[in-house]
Amino acid sequence: MSQPLTPSELAAFRARQRSRSRALALVLVALVVLFFAITLVKLKTERAGAGRPAPTSTGLPLTGSQGGQ
Amino acid sequence: MAADWRDFYALTKPRVMTLVIFTGLCGLLAAPGHINPVLGFAAILCIAVGAGGAAALNMWWESDLDAGMKRTRHRPVPAGRMEPTSARDFGFALSGGAVMVMGLAIGWLAAVTLAFSIFYYAWIYTVWLKPRTPQNIVIGGGAGAFPPLIGWIAVSGHITLMPVLLFLIIFVWTPPHFWALALFVQIDYAKVGIPMMPVVAGERSTRRQILAYAVLLLPLTLLPWWLGYTGRIYGVSALALGIVFVALSVKVGLRHSRGNDDAMKPEKRLFGYSILYLFVLFGMLVVDHVASSYGA
Repeated sequence: MSQPLTPSELAAFRARQRSRSRALALVLVALVVLFFAITLVKLKTERAGAGRPAPTSTGLPLTGSQGGQ
Repeated sequence: MAADWRDFYALTKPRVMTLVIFTGLCGLLAAPGHINPVLGFAAILCIAVGAGGAAALNMWWESDLDAGMKRTRHRPVPAGRMEPTSARDFGFALSGGAVMVMGLAIGWLAAVTLAFSIFYYAWIYTVWLKPRTPQNIVIGGGAGAFPPLIGWIAVSGHITLMPVLLFLIIFVWTPPHFWALALFVQIDYAKVGIPMMPVVAGERSTRRQILAYAVLLLPLTLLPWWLGYTGRIYGVSALALGIVFVALSVKVGLRHSRGNDDAMKPEKRLFGYSILYLFVLFGMLVVDHVASSYGA
């Protein structure tokens, strides 16, 4: 069985735990911000892509007479 | 003892990561096309985190060896500040997370290449080659050569000859870079039974091979210019940098060490220069690309 920690060792242990928890919290917040930004960019790109005229086999967009009903 | 956040940070080998981030960024900036800055940042972050994950797996696997070497015995696991399983789990979490985010945010070709680079370093190099063959560094050098390739794929979405050349440049640069280091820390490697080239083939053979790789590197770095992928700024820089690299390698390749009294200055100089060389070479690649974009 391991020896119980002395008060000073326990304090050092808790301080390390606290610093690790703070670092983890910071990383998680940064990830939330990053994922939010990536989602915005992806949505914007998709919307811009959807607004573009559909390409033909020649790579040129369809004109009204070609693509209209 | 609970590991501090600094211990987890140390597991990612931050100094090696600097070069990984830089070469990955250069691959991304030199690639044809455009990437949204947020996605570009995410791609570089994934490359860095993936490299950090592979480094953590390396430190978990090699903790016994690290304990026997002066240079590595203060790392978190051999020093007893962290459980080996914590290093392993951290490595897997970083690697998996980086590949997943790369796939979802950038694309699956970049993600698969990143996953392969992690596997290459953590398994092919660390587990398989390093303890078995003195050619470990030659083949394992591929692990460090992936970042510019991944950066390039992140922008262009495909692999062409140019990013493969960037891969090959780092691949061929690695042996003279690492063996110069191995020459002045060879006692450590011999002690833990790692078949590093100076330990197995001897110092003389290692010195000749350093010179051979340096000579091979010079025309290889000029290939992108000759093939028309880059302009004069890169070409002239690669030529000048390469000539200095060969000159320093000649000093290392043709000399004999004077035993324990030898300060190994030419080897240390070559090792230091090799790092500067790669930074400047890839930096010039980006400068050249930017200059050609503005019609210089």
